[in-house]
Amino acid sequence: MYAIKAEDLSKTFRVKVKEKGMKGSVRAILHPQVKEIQAVDNVSFSVEEGEMLAFIGPNGAGKSTTIKMLTGILYPDSGKVDVLGIDPTKNRKQLAYCIGTVFGQKEQLWTHLTPYDNFRFFGAIYDLTDKETEMRIAELKECFELGAFINTPVRNLSLGQRIRCELVASLIHRPRVLFLDEPTIGLDPVVKENIRELIHQMNRDYHTTIFLTSHDVGDIEKLCRRIIIVNAGQIVLDDSMEHLKKCYLEKENVHSSPLSLEDIIMDIYRAERRATGE
Amino acid sequence: MLTAVRRQLRVCMLSVKYNIMREMINPVTFVTNIIFMMLNNATILVQWFILFRLRDDIGGYTMKEVMLLWGLTAASFGLSRVLFARAFSLSELIVSGKLDSYLVQPKNVLLSVMTSATNISAIGDFLYGLVLLFACGFNVGRFFLFLLFTGTGTVIITAFALILGSLSFWFVRMEMFGNQMVSGMISFMTYPDGIFRGVSRFLVYFVIPVGMAVYHPVHIMTEFDAGMFLEVTGYAVFLMIAAVIVFYRGLKRYSSSSLMEARM
Amino acid sequence: MNRCMKKGMPGQLRQQGYGEMCRVPGRKYAVIYRAVLMENMQYAANIAMGFFSYFVFIFIFIKLWEYIYRTPGELIAGYTKEQMIWYVMMTEMIWFGSNTGAVARQVTADIRGGNIAYLMNKPYHYALYILAKYTGEWSIRLPMYALLAAVIGAAMVGAVPGFRLVTLPVMILCVVLGVTINAVFKICISLFSFWIEDATPFQWLYDKLILVVGTVFPIEIFPVSLQPLFKLTPIYTVCYGPAKLIVDFRAEKCIEILSVQVLYLAAGCALMFLVYRKGVKKLYVNGG
Repeated sequence: MYAIKAEDLSKTFRVKVKEKGMKGSVRAILHPQVKEIQAVDNVSFSVEEGEMLAFIGPNGAGKSTTIKMLTGILYPDSGKVDVLGIDPTKNRKQLAYCIGTVFGQKEQLWTHLTPYDNFRFFGAIYDLTDKETEMRIAELKECFELGAFINTPVRNLSLGQRIRCELVASLIHRPRVLFLDEPTIGLDPVVKENIRELIHQMNRDYHTTIFLTSHDVGDIEKLCRRIIIVNAGQIVLDDSMEHLKKCYLEKENVHSSPLSLEDIIMDIYRAERRATGE
Repeated sequence: MLTAVRRQLRVCMLSVKYNIMREMINPVTFVTNIIFMMLNNATILVQWFILFRLRDDIGGYTMKEVMLLWGLTAASFGLSRVLFARAFSLSELIVSGKLDSYLVQPKNVLLSVMTSATNISAIGDFLYGLVLLFACGFNVGRFFLFLLFTGTGTVIITAFALILGSLSFWFVRMEMFGNQMVSGMISFMTYPDGIFRGVSRFLVYFVIPVGMAVYHPVHIMTEFDAGMFLEVTGYAVFLMIAAVIVFYRGLKRYSSSSLMEARM
Repeated sequence: MNRCMKKGMPGQLRQQGYGEMCRVPGRKYAVIYRAVLMENMQYAANIAMGFFSYFVFIFIFIKLWEYIYRTPGELIAGYTKEQMIWYVMMTEMIWFGSNTGAVARQVTADIRGGNIAYLMNKPYHYALYILAKYTGEWSIRLPMYALLAAVIGAAMVGAVPGFRLVTLPVMILCVVLGVTINAVFKICISLFSFWIEDATPFQWLYDKLILVVGTVFPIEIFPVSLQPLFKLTPIYTVCYGPAKLIVDFRAEKCIEILSVQVLYLAAGCALMFLVYRKGVKKLYVNGG
């Protein structure tokens, strides 16, 4: 059973180009020069229910654009998306009930209110009754160890505590698919480990599908069994973590020390950069 | 259907409640903001006392009608910015790509966006409107008409701001233009319609929706007229539907947009 | 007043280090002025966006006075319709043209935010620095609004009755003095932030006084009993004086207004320096 299925997804952005100086400004008004950027180029993949997938790539590779298309924020220029049997472009609202999103760099919480008040709000958004919300908060509070600060305004929390709250807020309605866009950005190693453990637990206990983007190799290595690497809008690798490591170990046996996942990823990025001529 | 509406309302109420709770964290600032706005509005009365020393009627209005006009403007504009403050800064959200977070919520995007902020001094506006109403002498019929027209006024003002803000879906740098038009509308709302003749009369009735928001209601409160009453309510409904259509057309464009600004 | 004499400052050293600058007193303020002026030139388009509000306001007032004046040539409080409209246009021009960030917000923000600690140890007088900055700001805005007012006036009202080009320089001088006095008073009020948590409410009261009593109507329109009182407030020198001269120029009135302005400016500056010195002293005693 597929949780996510993307077929031939493409999205092109147009960027206005302006030449230097006053002359350029005038020309930009008269004959606007537009450069096209293929943010996502014919991408196809699928994710099984209950799978944990790392979707990685260098900056500007098209990761966020893909997530936005999977969640219905952006419409693709061409191609088809199917998340839990729902087309995000047609039934965005219906889809929203079944998915959760955490964007590490964007806050969705009301920072002046306590986590508890926030969870009540998200409970209402997802149509839970007060009783259901309370039960769910109690459950997640236990699991995410929020007890010490559930009544402290969010702005007074540490970044790690805040991210934990962001996660809980996106889990309040028991989503079947969770999209995590750089969830551990800016956290210290201990807190990172703690967050990873929680995500892992979520996947194990509730069979939640996890779609993760991150620049942190630790996140990927500890959490995901499968990895998709994108560059310049295209998939350059789609493989299981195990297979990837095995392949590389055989291929690169000339190295004296064993390769870490970080080395492998760096290698692929470098090779890609050479190939695209950047 | 009905449950969906009820649930939507629950979220909106919670949103407004949380907005106000957030502002009340500093109670002194909260109260001073409200009181200062009321005083601010009250100073304008000086101008009208002076003008009515010169003439008994200005644009066909007596002092009492000017007070009703001011009261209705303050109450509608105040309520609009307490409940739907974000309608007035929609451009900013569109341009910076901040609508994204509302798009992953399973609720009505327009309502979620509009109720996601509040303006505290606007509470002062609203209260000042009520003070002026009572200053004109209490009258049950007028009281209910006033409340009703505060409702239609709020709808008209919000819809107008929404349409202007939505222009940012299509055109760049509409922010300033929208703000100027809204403040222009407020300026027109606080002067009697009788002083506008010819082209300017056409302007206040058909270009900026001031006539239906306050002028007609003031005439109805002075002397009831069923025809005018229907015009006002009809117009409020019409403008609201127009605003909703424009916003969703724009939102579709936002989602299928290929302009990259802040959307990567 | 030279900032080099400031207490707790190694005056000798400063004098040498900035010798070049200190030789021509006020030169550094001219430099500040020019820098702000250049910077603000780039915002001309943004400033022009504010034209709409000005236009709407004036438009409404034109309609209002057209309604109130019933017969041509009628006088209200000694003003013809054209004079009355030009009066509002001029006071609003002064208001819109000189309402800038430097005096309105910066001083309060500097003091409350603690930025003042760095600014007051610079080799200039903080208040004069703000004044120079403010002058740089209005030097762009005010002429732009003056142009707009002239266009609106020519198109919708007609020429100012009895206007002669010869008197223009005196009128400009009077407007410049007016906006400068306004700034001095606003800086004084802002400086009270040294003592109270937030001087913004007082700023607001002052602005309201100018706006409600000073810009909309000439003083003559108010009840006779109130008029002497208004003549004592800054309104007389900031907006009434300049606008009155423009719509109804008379030599004796001109001398009267200019001399009152000079008096006000001197008194205002003395007050400003005094308040600043007391404030800084308080800061030294209590710490920032």
